[in-house]
Amino acid sequence: MRTLQAVLLSVALVVLLALPRVLSQYHVTLVLPALAYAIALLGYNLLFGYTGLLSFGHALFVAIGGYGAAVLSSRLGLKSFELILLLSAVTAVLVAIPIALLSVRYVKIFFGILTLAFGMLFHSFLFKFYNLTGGDTGIRVLRPTLLGRAYEDLDKTTWLVGPFYYYCVVLLVVLGFVMWRLVHSPFGLHLVATRENRRKSEYLGVRVRFFRLIAFAISAFYCAVGGAILAINTGQADPELAYWTHSGDLVFMTVLGGFGNFFGPVVGAFSYVFLKDQLVGMTQYWRFWLGLILVILVVLFPRGLAGLFERMWARLHRSTM
Amino acid sequence: MSTLLEAIDVRKSYGDFVAIDGISLAVGEGELVSIVGPNGAGKTTLVNLLTGLLPPTSGHVRFKGQDIAGIGPVMLAKHGMARAFQLVHIFPEMTVAETIAVAVVSQTGKSMRFFTPVRKDPAVNQRVREVAQIFGLERKLDTQSRLLSQGEQKLLDIASAFALAPEVILLDEPTSGVSSGDKHGLMRNVVDAARKAGVKAIILVEHDMDLVAEYSTRIVAIQAGKVLADRKPDDFFNDPEIVAAIVGKRVGRLAAGAA
Amino acid sequence: MSSFLDILIGGVFHAAVLFLVAAGLQLVFGVQKIVNLACGSFYALGAYFGITAVTWCIAHGMPPALFLPVLIVAGLVVGLIGPFIEALLLTVYHRDEAFQLLLTFALVLMFQDVLRFFWGADPQQLGDLVMSYGRVHMGAIQVPTYNLLVIFASIAIALGLGAFLQKTRFGRILRATAENREMSLALGVNVRWMYASVFTLGTMLGTVGGALVVPTAAASLDMPVELVVEAFAVVVIGGLGSMRGALVGALIVGLMRAAAISWYSELEMLAIYLVVIVVLVARPGGLFGKPLE
Repeated sequence: MRTLQAVLLSVALVVLLALPRVLSQYHVTLVLPALAYAIALLGYNLLFGYTGLLSFGHALFVAIGGYGAAVLSSRLGLKSFELILLLSAVTAVLVAIPIALLSVRYVKIFFGILTLAFGMLFHSFLFKFYNLTGGDTGIRVLRPTLLGRAYEDLDKTTWLVGPFYYYCVVLLVVLGFVMWRLVHSPFGLHLVATRENRRKSEYLGVRVRFFRLIAFAISAFYCAVGGAILAINTGQADPELAYWTHSGDLVFMTVLGGFGNFFGPVVGAFSYVFLKDQLVGMTQYWRFWLGLILVILVVLFPRGLAGLFERMWARLHRSTM
Repeated sequence: MSTLLEAIDVRKSYGDFVAIDGISLAVGEGELVSIVGPNGAGKTTLVNLLTGLLPPTSGHVRFKGQDIAGIGPVMLAKHGMARAFQLVHIFPEMTVAETIAVAVVSQTGKSMRFFTPVRKDPAVNQRVREVAQIFGLERKLDTQSRLLSQGEQKLLDIASAFALAPEVILLDEPTSGVSSGDKHGLMRNVVDAARKAGVKAIILVEHDMDLVAEYSTRIVAIQAGKVLADRKPDDFFNDPEIVAAIVGKRVGRLAAGAA
Repeated sequence: MSSFLDILIGGVFHAAVLFLVAAGLQLVFGVQKIVNLACGSFYALGAYFGITAVTWCIAHGMPPALFLPVLIVAGLVVGLIGPFIEALLLTVYHRDEAFQLLLTFALVLMFQDVLRFFWGADPQQLGDLVMSYGRVHMGAIQVPTYNLLVIFASIAIALGLGAFLQKTRFGRILRATAENREMSLALGVNVRWMYASVFTLGTMLGTVGGALVVPTAAASLDMPVELVVEAFAVVVIGGLGSMRGALVGALIVGLMRAAAISWYSELEMLAIYLVVIVVLVARPGGLFGKPLE
C-alpha cells in the first residue's frame, strides 16, 4: 500500500473513531448507514469495478441481510450479532449462487436486466406474502448482543452510537482488509483479466465463469452484512430494502465514489448518506436530483470522487517536481 | 520424434457446407509447421479444430494422445497448448507485468489463492521478468498495455502466450500489421524465445511466404478444405504446381532464384 | 373454454402494446447500438400524459368517443422529448457499454420522480371510458371493442414499419446506416439527423404504446420497471435488432403473462417477474439473435 494511502486511511480511521465524541447523536446515527453501505459497496464493487458486471438487483442481498437480522432476532429469538451476520450472509450466498449461475452467461445489458428482475421478484415476494414477511410493514429487528454483551443499561440510541458504532467500524476495517487482500491476490488478477478481455483471459487459462460466480457470491455476502447493519439501525426490515431504486442507490454510490478505485465505494457511501440527508431536507423529490447528479458523473466525471482526487494529487505532484 | 498434435481424418461441415473435408496432419517435437493457403480455404476452421475450439463433425484431434475435441481455451491452456491471435488482444488497463502474470498464475496453478498478494510473489515476479526479457519488454513492465505501440502489443500478446509454458504454440499470422522490415526480426525473436522457453513445436499460420520459406521445417498447404501438400520447404517450393496454386507467382527469394 | 379465450385476447392485447415498445427498442438498437433502459419510463410517461390529455379534452367538451385519437396524439407529443434524450446519450456513445447503461438508468431514476411530481404516487386511470366503444361478442366471451382496435392498430403499425424499412428510401438508408455507419457517412448521409429521428421514432413507439394501454390498465409508478424487464424479455426471445423477433417475442411474453395472471392472480406482480426470468433463462435457442456471450 502506498504511503499516501496508508496515511489517509489512518487519519480516516482516527476520525471515524472520534466521531461519537465530537458529533451530536443525530449525526452519528447518520454515519451508521454510511458504514453499512461502505461494507455493502466493497462487495458490490468487487463485482462491478473489478469483474465488470453491472448488477441492477443487488439490493436483493441487502434485503436478505436485513430480513435475516429481523427474522433471526424477533422470530427465532437469536441474540448474537455474530451469528446473525453469519447466517444472513451465508443465506445471501446460497441465494446468490443459482442467480449467478443463471446470469453470468449473459452479455452486459441482459445481465443487468436479469439481476433487476430477480431483485424485483424478491421485492414482490416480500410484499405479497404477508404472513411470512410482514408485507409492506415488514418485520421488527431486535437489538442483538455484541460479542455476548447485551448492554441492557443503555437505551437504543446510546447503544447505537456507542458499542454498536465501534463494532461496525471494526467490521468495516476487517472486511475492508479481507477485500484488499482479495483484489490483490492471484484470484483478483484473474478477475480483472476477465473484465479486460474475456476471450484472451480464457486463452491464458482463466476460468471466467467460475470466477465470476465466486465474485458474485462474495458481493452478496458483503451486501447482506451491510443490510443487517441497516436493519438493526432502523429497527425494521421492510420490502423497500429490495426495491429497484435501492439497487439504484448502490449503483449511484459506487459511481459517485469511483468504481475504478478500491476506496471509491467507501467514499461514495459516506458522500451519498450526507448528500441524501441534505437533499431530503430540501425536497421530497431527491431521487430526481440524485439521478441528475449521476448523469453529470457519468458524462463528466466517470472516475468519481476518488478519481478526481487522484487526478488532483497527480497534478500537485507534477507541479511540485 | 514424438507426435504432439495430430488431426486424424478430421471433417467439419455446417449443414450442407463442408468446411474441412478430411484432413490429417501431425506435428511433432522440434517442428515448425506452417499452414498456408488462400483465404476461405479453411485455415481458420482448421486452426479452431486443432486448438479444441470447435468439435469436428467426424475424425479426431489429439494432443499428446488425448482427445481435445471442443475442450475450449481454458482446458487447452491446461493441456499445454497456447494460441496467439492475428488481431491483437490485450488487457487495456493492465500493465505488461500484470498481463504476463495472468498467464504465470494459470500455469503455476495459483489462481485460487485468495489472500496472497500477487505483486509480491517472488516466483511470479521472476518468471514475469524472464518472459518479458525474452521479448525485449523488460523496460515496459509497468506500462499499461493500451499505451504500448502496436508492435509492442503484438509482442506482449505472444509473450503472454509463452508465459503459459506451453509445449505447443499456435501463432495466427503473428506478423500481420507489422512492417516488412520488422517481420523477420519478430519471427527470429519468437523462434529463439520458443527454444529458450522450452516450447517443443510451433504451428504457424502465415501469408508471408518469405517467412514461411525461411523458418518452417514443414509446410502444409490447404485448399478448399483439403490438404494440397504437406512437404518440407525445399520440396514445397520446387514443385511449380503447388507454388502456382498457393503463391500465384514466384515472389521474394524464389524470384531471386535463391531456392 | 371462455377463460382460455379471455387469456388469448388479453395476452394478444398486451403483446400488441409490448410490441410497440420492443419495436422502438429494436429500431434504436439496430441503427444506433443504443440500449435504452428508460423505454419503460417513456411508456409510463405516455400513459400518464394520455390520461391527462383525455381528461382535459373531455372536461373541455370533447365527446368521450374521441378518446382514442387523443391518446395517440398525446403519445406522439410527449415522444418529442426523444431528440433531447438522444443528444444526452450521444455524450457516452463512444464509451464502454456500461456507461450507456448507467446513463439510461439514471434517467429512469429521474423519471420516477418526474412522474411522481406531476401525477402523484397513486395509480391513475380513465375509468369506464373504454366502454364508449362497446363490446364485441367472440364466441363465449365479450371483448371490449377498444382492445381489438388496439390490436389491429398495432398490427397496422408493424406492417407500416416493415414497409417503411423495406420500401421507402429513408428506410433503406436507415438499414444501410445500421449495417455500416462509416459508409453512410461517406455517401453523404446526414447520420446525426438520422440518429435523432430514429431515436425519436423509437421513443414515440414507446409513449404511444403507453398511452394506448391506459383505458384498460392503470398508470402507476411501478410501470417503468415492469415494462423494461418485459420489453427486454421480448428482445431476448426475438434477438437484439430484429423486428420480426420483437413480434414473436411480444406474443410469447404477452400470452405467458396473461396465463400467469389468470392462474395465480394473487401473485400478479410476482408472476410478471417470474415469467420474465423464465423467458430470459430458458430462451429458446437461436431464434433470432445472440444475447449470450
